[in-house]
Amino acid sequence: MEITKAVITAARRTQRSLPLQTIIDSDGVEKSVLRVLVEEVIDAGVDEICVIVYPGDEAAYAATVGEHAGRLQFVQQAEQLGYAHAVYCAREFVGGDSFLHLVGDHLYVRPNGGRCAARVVEAARAHNCSVSAVQATRETLLPYFGAVGGHRLAGQTGLYQVETVVEKPTPTEAEQRLVASGLRAGHYLCFFGIHVLTATVMEILDGLLSATDAEGADGRPGAGLYLSAALNLLARREQYLALEQRGMRLDIGVKYGLLTAQIALALNGQDRDEMLTRLLELLMARSMQEGEEPI
Amino acid sequence: MSTLVEILTAADEEIRNRSLEGFARRASAETLLRECAALDRLRRESENLYEQVRALFFLYSIHRFHLPGKVGIAARGVIPFRGFEDLLHRRFHEAIETFLHHQSQGGPNEALSSGLAAAYRQLGFQTLSDQVRRSVRSIAGNQWMFRVGHPSDHPLRVRKSLLRPLESGIFPLLRETTPVRMDLTHSGWSDIFFLGMDFPEGARVLNVSIDLRVDGAGQAQSRGPRPPVEGYFRIIDRPILRLVSVDLQASAEITTFAEVFDFARDHLGLLKAALIAAGIVPPGMEGAHQPLSDLLTQLVGAGQGIELVSKVNDIPKGSRLAVSTSLLACLITVSMRATGQVRLLTGGLSEEERRLVAARAILGEWLGGSGGGWQDSGGIWPGIKLIEGRLSSEGDPEFGVSRGRLLPSHHLLGSDEISEETRQALQASLVLVHGGMAQDVGPILEMVTEKYLLRCEREWVGRQRAIGTLDEILGYLKAGDVRAIGGATERNFRGPIQTIIPWAGNLYTDRLIEQARAAFGEHFWGFWMLGGMSGGGMGFLFDPRYKAAAKVRMQEIMDATKGRMEDSVPFAMQPVVYDFAINERGTWAELHGPPSGTTRRPDGATGLMPADYYRLTVPETLRQDPWLLTPAQRAELEIFGAASGGDPALVDVLPSLLQRMMPQKQEEDSQDSLSAMLAANAFDREQHEQIRGDLRSGRIGLAQNRLPTRSLIEDVSPEEVVDATAGLPDRLGEIGAAALRGGEAAVVTLAGGAGSRWSQGAGVVKALNPFARLGGSHRSFIETHLAKSRRSGRLCGMPLPHIVTTSYLTHGAMAETLGEEDECGYSGPLLLSPGRSIGLRMVPMVRDLRFAWEETPRQVLDVQAEKVQESLHGALINWARTEGEGSDYEDNLPDQCIHPVGHWYEVPNLLRNGVLRGLLAERPQLQYLMMHNIDTVGAHVDPGLLGLHISSGAAMTAEVIHRRLEDRGGGLARIEGMVRLVEGLALPREEIEFRLTYYNTNTFWIHIDNLLETLGLARADLGDGRVVAEALGRMAARMPTYVTLKEVKKRWGRGQEDIFPVTQFEKLWGDMTALPEMDCRYVVVPRVRGQQLKEVAQLDGWLRDGSAAYVEGLCDWPD
Repeated sequence: MEITKAVITAARRTQRSLPLQTIIDSDGVEKSVLRVLVEEVIDAGVDEICVIVYPGDEAAYAATVGEHAGRLQFVQQAEQLGYAHAVYCAREFVGGDSFLHLVGDHLYVRPNGGRCAARVVEAARAHNCSVSAVQATRETLLPYFGAVGGHRLAGQTGLYQVETVVEKPTPTEAEQRLVASGLRAGHYLCFFGIHVLTATVMEILDGLLSATDAEGADGRPGAGLYLSAALNLLARREQYLALEQRGMRLDIGVKYGLLTAQIALALNGQDRDEMLTRLLELLMARSMQEGEEPI
Repeated sequence: MSTLVEILTAADEEIRNRSLEGFARRASAETLLRECAALDRLRRESENLYEQVRALFFLYSIHRFHLPGKVGIAARGVIPFRGFEDLLHRRFHEAIETFLHHQSQGGPNEALSSGLAAAYRQLGFQTLSDQVRRSVRSIAGNQWMFRVGHPSDHPLRVRKSLLRPLESGIFPLLRETTPVRMDLTHSGWSDIFFLGMDFPEGARVLNVSIDLRVDGAGQAQSRGPRPPVEGYFRIIDRPILRLVSVDLQASAEITTFAEVFDFARDHLGLLKAALIAAGIVPPGMEGAHQPLSDLLTQLVGAGQGIELVSKVNDIPKGSRLAVSTSLLACLITVSMRATGQVRLLTGGLSEEERRLVAARAILGEWLGGSGGGWQDSGGIWPGIKLIEGRLSSEGDPEFGVSRGRLLPSHHLLGSDEISEETRQALQASLVLVHGGMAQDVGPILEMVTEKYLLRCEREWVGRQRAIGTLDEILGYLKAGDVRAIGGATERNFRGPIQTIIPWAGNLYTDRLIEQARAAFGEHFWGFWMLGGMSGGGMGFLFDPRYKAAAKVRMQEIMDATKGRMEDSVPFAMQPVVYDFAINERGTWAELHGPPSGTTRRPDGATGLMPADYYRLTVPETLRQDPWLLTPAQRAELEIFGAASGGDPALVDVLPSLLQRMMPQKQEEDSQDSLSAMLAANAFDREQHEQIRGDLRSGRIGLAQNRLPTRSLIEDVSPEEVVDATAGLPDRLGEIGAAALRGGEAAVVTLAGGAGSRWSQGAGVVKALNPFARLGGSHRSFIETHLAKSRRSGRLCGMPLPHIVTTSYLTHGAMAETLGEEDECGYSGPLLLSPGRSIGLRMVPMVRDLRFAWEETPRQVLDVQAEKVQESLHGALINWARTEGEGSDYEDNLPDQCIHPVGHWYEVPNLLRNGVLRGLLAERPQLQYLMMHNIDTVGAHVDPGLLGLHISSGAAMTAEVIHRRLEDRGGGLARIEGMVRLVEGLALPREEIEFRLTYYNTNTFWIHIDNLLETLGLARADLGDGRVVAEALGRMAARMPTYVTLKEVKKRWGRGQEDIFPVTQFEKLWGDMTALPEMDCRYVVVPRVRGQQLKEVAQLDGWLRDGSAAYVEGLCDWPD
């Protein structure tokens, strides 16, 4: 399987500024979030990148990725019709090819350096099928993620055959349908935000979007459809694997998300000592102000 | 190898299903004790649940029914108090160890066997219910709820579409309506979990979801049958949980986790159980100390809360249609929909979802301390279905533990299997009723389980036949033959059901069937018992052409029969006839409010709650300062105000609100009739105030009933009593027979009490309660006693005078019944001795409640039931404080507010009311009275015992029996050197009672002249009321007054009942034995003679251990 294309979704109206935020990457260089993501993609050996944007954001985004601007193509999501629709906007760009997909409001950190996306692409190439990165997640976080159920592939480390995909399952449903072997009690395989998908997904999305009337947050029909619904059908149509990731997925769209991502990147990069020292200084200064003994 | 262990562990089903009875009847005591040792090893070592449990029940049965009476088992023995304490604290293993240790030290005896029987039986039930709990917890979809312990970890979110207020300002309203279930076959209670999990092949029922309407109910109901239970869920703009039960008229605003888990605090336990079982407040959060608003912030967002409302559409409690389980399932479903645990917000459920809701309903029942059968949530499913037990297989949590799964499978019978016409025909011929009887099905379900596990011979055959009935009825349904169904359900009721549990039938039901048949002849097709027992929810099948007439006639028959029987049988409500229809869609939800897809409820305005909700809540809302109302409350009041003018469903709410805000009239009426009753019964107000003063000041009370702790209380030795258990010399029998022939003896039956334990405070006349089928008919206690006297009179050739003492509670009904039934055909002198003393019950002192609940040993319940009990005790203590400790108890029907003052007064009454004087005038030779309690059904005028009493020359001979575990409440003791009877209330320490070998049966032989002498009277004085009254007054002052707590039922609503503890006082006849001038003797009588029937749950054992047959042998029935 050849994977040369990537789709990054960044069109959500309320989070348009997230990809433009600057952050110090693990290599110590100041970059925009979008640029970090683009480099993640390039490191995975993928050159052609499509970014799904809110109309009018193209120039600002292009400006933040520096020399990589030439690799980017922008596709507008003219109406806010949700996540699944945003992916579907890239159907012409994807054509009949498999593609790497990342979401624009997440950053990824692997404990030993290296890139998360590259592992997923590698697995997809090796098994010649769609692969989604997943992470064992406590059931209390189920309201925030899509989750998969399946069984471990014999003789493979961290690879699961996906049988079911449910978006933000209730723990009740998760217990009944999403139990995966080898996980601790109350843990489920939740999406990490990185997928390699075959073009079949676009076909499925096409069908789903025209049939669904799932209502989104703004009340529009179709806007409530998640990519998970399409991936659930994909699992029934063709081989679809999940790859367990050991790294961290950092949602920069939540409260303190960007700050946490920054600290995590620093602690996992060349500025680790400096970050640790500053954190300690902050803690000590606070302790001393409160009259406690210095640590 | 032991024969019984071989039966229990056999792979061959035929061997495994062998009964214990056949073997145990023939075996010697030695063999049985050897078998017991082997069974005890098996129950400890086996890993198979049912081997353990059956071994426990075999052990129970051997000790309860088979060892007593065998050669080599002593009747006399002492129960170690430590073992008893262990039993109270549910430490069954330790209790068994203690009893076995004493058995190995001192040899087997009946007292120890009674302790072992109780311990093995309770351990058996405990083991079974623990397993049900484990299985419910381990069902996939339920496990997470036990792991989540912190509000921040809550993984559920309420659907967004419910979170936003509508344009009108109120929130969208999710409404679930659920049918109830009707059991078409009654396969011998095979849906009890314990049966289904061991014998899934036999666990089968045909279960129909139905809508109901109470016939003749108000105009608002004139639309026809509808789903009987409704649940409503909506968001509110305050961070609280608001629970409202429209049918129970209760509401609460909850702000702490502790309140959610406090089930008995109010009438909202079922709603709380639903919230917990639905995962909104998961069971794992019990004890969480964070504010409940933290959890609500996670679920519905900051500043918002949840309102859950339940409504039962006029269906009374005890309908045998599983109304409360259906309501629980309904509330769980609506809550699961709102939190996305059910896929569709509106409409029906998928099969998988129905099973999950059913499992959650079981969880909810366990939490609330109740528990029905596995078919009870059948109303979630549509139409007619066959529910069957399933063998457990690999992957099931039950696999390797029990043969069957906890949850059965449901097969919906479509129109291809049961045609539309048949469904219509069934509806056109069935008259569904509630007979009105109050019932406690709990003991029946325990009996069924026990008999199944023991494979009791008759019952096992009955069970096989009941299983066959299902196939028979299914066949008729498929063939469309409704008439044949009527025949089959009635055969099932008369045959298998009453073979398994004789107590499932009763005289009331028999009379209804008889009258239905007399009125409609061949057009009455058959009777059909619903649920656990008859008398409540029942069905009568008629030729459809006569159904309309039958509905009217059945109402008349039930009303008239209830009218005739309500003194003798506990009724909770007026009988009703229902209209019903099969519900073909199961539980169903609609969303009211949002502009898209708005459904206007047929019975209410868009987005508004049902009318009764406003009757309950508006007065409270209006009492608040207007500026304290939230925007949603304001908006709702506005919409309600606008709608109540024109909406037919709401139009009568406003006038009723005024009434509700200014009640009282009814209460005044009830006060008047209480005063009249007190006046009519010569209530002594002065004495009452004296008692109240003593009670409030602490001079009397539960703790003060006791003798001083330094009293020397010892057991009596065998030489101090005469042992008549193996019979008495013929010589004594001849003396007694001669006295009987000479007309020297009479019987006094004490029947002034209501038997509060018998009917749990329902206030019926126990003497008239048709408690068992004897001599082929249902017989009341009084009929049974008269039948014994009739026989005694016949045998000695001289009719035996029989005096029945009565009180204000019982006199009218007794006089009427004995008159109506031609004095029960009694040919001898039959006299009623009306009581002359009453007391007014008082609200108990908190001190006494605490003493009863905290300081005296009491049975600790199952973990969950204990939590409920504790919460109830808290609520009752609060009630006593609010009502005023020691104030008059007047908030009930008048006859529930006054009380008889103890059986000490019964003999004085005989002297005061002239009954004894009259009898003595008629029979001057009369010299001896045998006085006994109404529930000592084995007591009769035994010539040997009479001879013993005569030859002793004593003033009184008291009968005692060898104590067993269940014999609580005092006994025979030597106190400070004097042998006398002592009340349990008076013993300074509980353990003393366990050192006393003999238990007081309260049967006394009295020598009239000697007694009069003790009172300072002679026969000639009996005509002088003043002299008699003075003598009795002097004696009364010497008798101790005991303060006791009694439970009274308060009935309200539609068959709802609350039980309150009240304080009353009494003086007891046994204390006469403490008078030094009274010459008293004591005789030990056989247990079958001396035992008392105090609780309905005793009946089955009484029947099985031969006691019933013994009583039958003493009776001459008039027919």
